[in-house]
Amino acid sequence: MTRIVVFLLALLAAVPVLVAETLAAETLSEGQVLRGAFVQERFLKGFQAPLKSEGRFALVPGRGLIWRTETPFAVTTVMSPAGLVQEVKGNETMRLPAARLPFMSKLYTMLGGALTGDWKALEDMFAVERGGGADAWTLHLTPRRADDPTMPIRAIDVRGGRFVDEVDIVKPDGDRDRLTFRDQLLKAEPPTADEAALLASAGRP
Amino acid sequence: MRRLGALLWLALVLLASGYLALRLHDGLGFRTDLLALLPREEQDPVLQRANDAVTKALGRRVLALVGHADRETARRAATTLGDALLATGQVERIGEGIDVDRLKRLGALYFPHRQSLLSDGDRALLTAGKGEEVATRALSQAFGFAGLVDAGLLRTDPFLLLPSFLTNLPFPLSRLTPDEGMLSVTENGTTWVLVSAVLAGEPFELDLQDRLVGAFDAAVRDMPGVTVKRLGAVFFAHAGSKTAITEASTLGTLSLVGTMLLVGLAFRRPGPLLHNLLALGVGMTVGLSGSLLLFGELHVAALLFGSSLIGVAVDYSLHYSASLFDPLSGSPSDRLRHVLPGIALGLVTTLIGYAALMLAPFPGLRQIAAFSIIGLVGAFLTVVLWLPSLDRARRLTHGALMLRAATGLWSFWEARRWRGVRLVLVLGCVLAGAVGLARLSADDDVRRLQAVSVELRHEQDEIQRLIGATTAAQFLLVQAADDEAALRRQEDLAATLTGLKAKGSIAGYQMPAAFVPSARTQRENRALVATALDAPLLAAQRASLGLPPAEPNSKAPEEVLTLGDALAADSVPFLRELVLGPGLHVVALQGLSDPDAVRAAVAGTAGVRLVDPTADFSALLAKYRHRALLLTGLAGLLMLPVLMWRYGWRGGLWALLPPGAALILAPAVVGLMGQDFTFFHAMALVLILSIGVDYAVFCAESGVEQQPVTMLAVWLATLTTLLSFGMLAFSAVPAVHSFGVTMLVGISIAFLFAPLAARGTRHNEATNNARLL
Repeated sequence: MTRIVVFLLALLAAVPVLVAETLAAETLSEGQVLRGAFVQERFLKGFQAPLKSEGRFALVPGRGLIWRTETPFAVTTVMSPAGLVQEVKGNETMRLPAARLPFMSKLYTMLGGALTGDWKALEDMFAVERGGGADAWTLHLTPRRADDPTMPIRAIDVRGGRFVDEVDIVKPDGDRDRLTFRDQLLKAEPPTADEAALLASAGRP
Repeated sequence: MRRLGALLWLALVLLASGYLALRLHDGLGFRTDLLALLPREEQDPVLQRANDAVTKALGRRVLALVGHADRETARRAATTLGDALLATGQVERIGEGIDVDRLKRLGALYFPHRQSLLSDGDRALLTAGKGEEVATRALSQAFGFAGLVDAGLLRTDPFLLLPSFLTNLPFPLSRLTPDEGMLSVTENGTTWVLVSAVLAGEPFELDLQDRLVGAFDAAVRDMPGVTVKRLGAVFFAHAGSKTAITEASTLGTLSLVGTMLLVGLAFRRPGPLLHNLLALGVGMTVGLSGSLLLFGELHVAALLFGSSLIGVAVDYSLHYSASLFDPLSGSPSDRLRHVLPGIALGLVTTLIGYAALMLAPFPGLRQIAAFSIIGLVGAFLTVVLWLPSLDRARRLTHGALMLRAATGLWSFWEARRWRGVRLVLVLGCVLAGAVGLARLSADDDVRRLQAVSVELRHEQDEIQRLIGATTAAQFLLVQAADDEAALRRQEDLAATLTGLKAKGSIAGYQMPAAFVPSARTQRENRALVATALDAPLLAAQRASLGLPPAEPNSKAPEEVLTLGDALAADSVPFLRELVLGPGLHVVALQGLSDPDAVRAAVAGTAGVRLVDPTADFSALLAKYRHRALLLTGLAGLLMLPVLMWRYGWRGGLWALLPPGAALILAPAVVGLMGQDFTFFHAMALVLILSIGVDYAVFCAESGVEQQPVTMLAVWLATLTTLLSFGMLAFSAVPAVHSFGVTMLVGISIAFLFAPLAARGTRHNEATNNARLL
């Protein structure tokens, strides 16, 4: 389960570079912060409506990701190279140190590589199909080892322009997650004190 | 008459040789575990069974960590190593048994009972009335970043109680994390991947050891740049048996060559050399085939001790051959008649010593005793029945100097001019004895008796550090009328164990009740979920998740999960090893650092006790150390009537003086050397008594005119004994070394004092008459 989380973090950071090869997406670099709003919809079998949550995120290259769900209720998830922490109303509900996730260090290598234009690690795991034009591109990712029963993803579709606009993740059992991003803003500034504190909290053992 | 006896003996020896050849042809099965030498005391069959089961399960485990800076390289190497081990056919399975298939079965087992299974944390929250927190956690997982749960589960378990229960199951190997199907840990840039295996047989089978360790080493050799650390009884046993077998052959060869060289130098004739070789060869052959016939297999230690028999078996033929130097010696039959009383009495007393060994219920030591008794009787019969007929040797005249030198020891005890030195020596011995015995302390720790490879011990420590904690050899045994009662006992014990964990006495524990709670607890959990979660929060939770209201009959079935179900499904890793029988369960302990604290903490709990196989063995060794000392005393007492019958009461006491002095001084020297006195030192005393009595008897039997010849024979006998048993002092196996050191010191002292044995017989009419016969 945590693997998906880590994977997505890497993906979010990597995609802009991935497409930057041929397309016009923005490249992130250290010293910048990408902030924006998201809508997450989870289409689950047997549920009348998708589980929909909304909130804001901040991606700080080299430091991590802050994912604040605001509706239907407040959950904050912080991912950093040191680990993952989830909080509800200031109470920690989950903590996974990176030391317990060997996979995570690998994905961070992938992420670090991707940020500097080396996205070989990602292509090792996924077959990437590119489509669309410079202003509206698409990516279709399928795992190279589809028969691996531990592989939690069947396919990923990414759509974007300057930034990533939409990510669609299909799971082997048919459940689907859709992430939609808007109001994204890239600023060359350090994270706020609040953000820095959250990122640091994920680093505690 | 002798001719018939000789022919019968020939037939028997041929039969024994044939049997031995047959067994050697089939391949001998040697046992190598030191513990097999030790007695099994069936004081408490239940405890014994638990002990065996747990020790066996632990002994069959093999762990290795394969490390490399590159994760993929490490993983590939781990796979290669696992395949290599599997290819030996000596391995039952590779891996912890936590594969995807097993996890699916685990889920299938627990799923129907999801409302009866609560993690400790959830149970505490619900008991405290904090159902809200459980509900919120489930929602945060459903709505949180990238959603962590699948739809099917959320629909049927909207509070996500089952995932919480599953992730809190106490699986061992705490620092390891599953990573794409392999357990691994990363430290300082190196990825360590675990390769674990369960042996198909016992780690102490030589054949299994060779094949498994051979395959392991070969696989590691083919992985340049990859670091491999290993842990498992099989590696220690392999190193240990390699040492024992190498030693048995080198020490055996050395003592054989040394003995032959000595005999050749002393007699300077091929005849006596061949006679001694013959007596020795027959002794070894019948000893080996006799014990194989009796026991079916042989322990490596019996072989090692048995090879030392060379030094004793040769005593009788030496005594016979030495009579060649006697200026009065006549025909071979006359010479035999001369030495017969001495060697017959020597044999009887030695057999009494070995028979005392037989009295102790030690499987391994019984083998040694049987081997020795049969071998010695064989050597004796060869001397008595064969040698006189084969003997064509003439009287030897070259030995004047040697005889004079040999008699030196006798004169030392007799001549007036040595009186001062004798007094100093005796006083010195008394002083050394007193100081040494006062300094002597006993140590029965079984771990100190085995030769443990330093390198393997280091790797073991490294592995334990890297994977956090490994399962201790000690465990808690829970006994109750049935499974339900045993499970309840464990649940009552959980608070105590949590306390011990908080104190750091243990790092973790696994008990059957953590995987299958008692029916009592399952019913309580069910009621708790109904009142603290379902009643106040279920409707709201389903609404938040966008689920339709619960149907009244969608509840999970009422029946509880039983231990029998879980065992039958074979889906819970480790559970089989924890349940020994109905109502007999094991609580495995990880990272046990303070056994005394654990013992004290469970002391008041009925039906629960800490079992410590190592400590139990050590206690057993202590008990048998005492018994060995008693046996030595008993053997001495049994010898006394035989000696008194022959030499009168005073002469009997004098004859027992030299071995008696050795029995007191040998442990004293051990004490002066700063060694701890162990069971194996004590066992050596039994042999010192029986061999030392031989020398005393040879001296007591000797007339004044035969003194030089007798002393030569005793010299040779002592040197050969030191060449064999004394060699064991150079063994790398602490137990064998202790035995050898004691023998070395004790035999030397028994020899030094041997001439004193003749003092009581000098004026004894009965013996003088007997000697004339």
